Amino acid sequence: MDSLATLASATWGGPLLVLALMLPVAALMLAFVLGGRHAERVVLATLPIGLGVAVAIAAAIIHQGAALHYDLGGWAPPLGVSLHADGLSATLLLTTAVVLCAVGLYARADFRVPPGVSEARAPLAFWTLLLAVWAGLNAVFLGQDLFNLYVALELLTFAAVPLVCLSGSPQTIAAALRYLLFALMGSVLYLLGGALFYGAYGTLDIPMLSARLASGDPIAPAALAAAALMTAGLLAKTALFPLHLWLPPAHAGAPAAGSAVLSALVVKASFFLILRLWFDVMPASLTHLAAQVLAALGAAAILFGGVLALRQARLKMLIAYSTLAQIGYLFLVFPLVANPAAAPILDLGQTPGAWTGGVLQLVSHAFAKAAMFMAAGLIAGALGHDQLRGLGGIGRVLPMTVFAFALAGLSLMGLPPSGGFASKWLLLSASIETGQWWWTLVMLAGGLLTGAYLFRVLAPALSTRGPPLTLVKPVERSRELVVLGLALCSVVLGLVPFSSFGLVQIGRLGATGIGLP
Amino acid sequence: MTQSSLLMAALGTPVLALLACLWRPVRERMLGLLVLAPLPALAAAVIALAGVGEGGRWMLDPGLLQIGLVLDRPGALLLGVAALLWGAAGAYAWTYLRGKPNGRRFAVFWLLTLTGSLGVFVAADLLSFYLTFALVSLAAWGLVAHDGTVRARRAGVVYLLLAVLGEVFLLLAFVLLAVASPGDSLAIGAVVAALPGSPWCGPTLGLLIAGFGLKAGLVPLHVWLPIAHPAAPMPASAVLSGVIVKAGIIGLIRFLPWDAGLVDWGQALTAIGLCTAFYAVAIGITQANPKTVLAYSTASQMGLVATVFGLGLAVGDGAAVTAGTFYAAHHLLAKGALFLAVGVVAATDARRLWPVLAPAGLLALGFGGLPLTGGFLAKLAVKPVLGVGLVGWLGTLSAIGSTLLMVHFLHRVAANPAPEAVASAAPGLVWPWWVMCLAALVLPWVLAPLGRLGPWSDTLGWAALWGGLWPVLIGAVLALGLRRWGERLPKVPEGDLVVLFSNAGRVAAALGDALERADGWLRRWPVAGVLLLVLALVLWGAMLAGTR
Repeated sequence: MDSLATLASATWGGPLLVLALMLPVAALMLAFVLGGRHAERVVLATLPIGLGVAVAIAAAIIHQGAALHYDLGGWAPPLGVSLHADGLSATLLLTTAVVLCAVGLYARADFRVPPGVSEARAPLAFWTLLLAVWAGLNAVFLGQDLFNLYVALELLTFAAVPLVCLSGSPQTIAAALRYLLFALMGSVLYLLGGALFYGAYGTLDIPMLSARLASGDPIAPAALAAAALMTAGLLAKTALFPLHLWLPPAHAGAPAAGSAVLSALVVKASFFLILRLWFDVMPASLTHLAAQVLAALGAAAILFGGVLALRQARLKMLIAYSTLAQIGYLFLVFPLVANPAAAPILDLGQTPGAWTGGVLQLVSHAFAKAAMFMAAGLIAGALGHDQLRGLGGIGRVLPMTVFAFALAGLSLMGLPPSGGFASKWLLLSASIETGQWWWTLVMLAGGLLTGAYLFRVLAPALSTRGPPLTLVKPVERSRELVVLGLALCSVVLGLVPFSSFGLVQIGRLGATGIGLP
Repeated sequence: MTQSSLLMAALGTPVLALLACLWRPVRERMLGLLVLAPLPALAAAVIALAGVGEGGRWMLDPGLLQIGLVLDRPGALLLGVAALLWGAAGAYAWTYLRGKPNGRRFAVFWLLTLTGSLGVFVAADLLSFYLTFALVSLAAWGLVAHDGTVRARRAGVVYLLLAVLGEVFLLLAFVLLAVASPGDSLAIGAVVAALPGSPWCGPTLGLLIAGFGLKAGLVPLHVWLPIAHPAAPMPASAVLSGVIVKAGIIGLIRFLPWDAGLVDWGQALTAIGLCTAFYAVAIGITQANPKTVLAYSTASQMGLVATVFGLGLAVGDGAAVTAGTFYAAHHLLAKGALFLAVGVVAATDARRLWPVLAPAGLLALGFGGLPLTGGFLAKLAVKPVLGVGLVGWLGTLSAIGSTLLMVHFLHRVAANPAPEAVASAAPGLVWPWWVMCLAALVLPWVLAPLGRLGPWSDTLGWAALWGGLWPVLIGAVLALGLRRWGERLPKVPEGDLVVLFSNAGRVAAALGDALERADGWLRRWPVAGVLLLVLALVLWGAMLAGTR
């Protein structure tokens, strides 16, 4: 297919993609070299630049109405490496940059090099790992080759795992090992799938592979096996129910900033790759039955995660199980993009609302969940614990933190006006339009459960009975503002009219249309 | 000032007051300013009702989705009386809660609820309506649970559970409406016009009636009313019963397709309404707490409004909307006033009750249709809709029931004066009550043309007066019987049907335990590892099955 090459020559802004990829890597090197107190400064100086780059990429895509493409060194695949950013990638790059900026500002107080020493283990590890996670995420969002994507995903995993055990306690190290081992099992399946693809079609470049898959009929069973293996491996990394064995213990001991990054961004990267696989690599061969299987897992996650969140004793674990449930909503996108009765295969053109709704869910959950984990971190820091039992009256001593938590909860519950509401509205509409009312019921039940577990936090927080709480540590106003800002982001998404979410569709319809008759 | 900017100010004022609450000095004083917050809405409604201009309209995007606010006749009528009650209750709240803890929190929840409550009467599109309806439903939790006692907290949980359930019904109904509507427009008129032709017409109507009926207190979803009212502080009960249940009424007015002549749904709504009207009286007379009695009376009255709407829906008659709105407007004023009276009586000693009880009795008997009260006009307005058949006869029977229930209420409220030998209510409690009392007696006469009441010679003819009087007399006689033999009635707990769910908590806990064990099992290494492989195989199978 030469359409991509012509597309590339027609668009500007390609070099921005290189910048988005290289900026965190360069910063990572610099932070390592300078070390000590400079790591933090390097991160805080780089993040705003990265945000600017992400904004520029999104602006370029909206302006041109087409995806950005760049061949590194001018070498086109299969020889060279190419970077590609469609609307979805740009949206995720932007989300990543915003969340990481907030996390960076928030984490300054937790990972400060203590006075009197030039370097400390935890701060140096945190700041460099944050850059590594950023690099991994951007590489995943921009990659165009299944093997490069594998490398990016591994980078991401290896950067995210140590974030879990920064405190160094035995429990957190056990949790990190659990995460690492399960993520590696997922990687093995992904790699196996990649090998099968390569064996059958001789390429791992997404456009070429997709073209070959579409032209050669019937599709080799090996290709289907490859897709199944890759998907399963990615599900393990996404922690979709019932493959969530690593998620609760990982969050239990991770620092608030680490949990925020993990829950808001890292699990979304593997979900993003499932989208790439299903909608870009082999749109023609992914069946409604398989889509229903994925959505059934998502539905189980919504209900199961919701009930488990209701039963947690610790605020942080409640939020962790809430992540389990919210990830479930993402997987409802697969069956909802098409009407099983009308179209033989998945076709994004049918219900663009479902696609927008899914992406909106991803983004608003990222903002809301990061805000929630960070608010929980502030509460835990101020009280010295995060037992739900002991939260009575916290609204009086930390009003802004609780307000931010409630705003994020608004979005999570899908109440208007919030990004969560817009996304649920779109997904519900799509489920009605495509005649799949059972997913409607699951989404509504999930909303009820979300409301119930948030009530468990907010009702005692607003209560004024009992003795006033004593704070073991004051909370900086600036950190509260960061959390509030992020929560507001998730709410403001819902005030933007639906029609202006065109960005997430750019590059979609064209990409799925490649090679199709 | 143009009408549309006045409409903006109606909603903008409480929002601005909320934002001002972020600033501590304002927050401290907000309780005293609550009386002012609904005044622009009152002004907007009065101007719209006076017929100056063509009613306010403010659109965010006039072309595409048509999101915005609009003020029409039924909306303006309810908005006006609602704003009046919000103002009076706000003034009452200042005296009632001054010096007690948590006044600031109360003021914030009050303003949130107020914003939503006024918003539902003017919302022009699905999204604004859902937003304001959710706001009034959920924020009222803070008013119900305000006292923080075990009872208030339980009431808050029951209230919130049912409110969220109602939200779920409505969200689904709104999505069905939006999907079935051919255009992009989300204007309520446009989507409701497409409803009779919708493939999901039946489910949509069922969900709408369930969602709005829950808010209006229709059986069997009325259970939150008698639990929430007694638990809430007095001014909050007044707005709960007066205004907040009307969010359900305006919902029915806005979202039922009046022109379509849906006979089955109309009859169903009529049946639900009549059941509510009688069931609530039957339970209400077993109650001892005057506020609980009033809550059941509210359910019963809204049952009658639903009956009127059902009859109109069946024959495709918009006149039922006018009559029902007028009836609801009178109920809003009188019920709000009576709740304020309960608080005034509770602060007055037993020997000085009559100046409060006499006008309260007039209002209370008005619900039975006592001639020359506002309730008399309300009954006359719905009479043509009820007709002379079985339903008309049942309507008269419900007037007898209402009288019985209201005499029981007067009896109960007189039994609860202030315990001190000499006590009188603070002026800050008394004058809002007098304002509402006068409004409930006088305003229906002023607003009567909006209820399409006939010429005054008919309204005040001997036939009409006697028709209004005899059910009250029969009800009063029955009330004497109730007083004599009322002890023998079974004691029904507040919220009657809710006791059926008293062990729901245990069932849920057992289910939760089971799921928690399942979680532990699923997160074991061998299980998770096997599941990973099984999942890969299942996905492969699902793809193969679809390809062949």
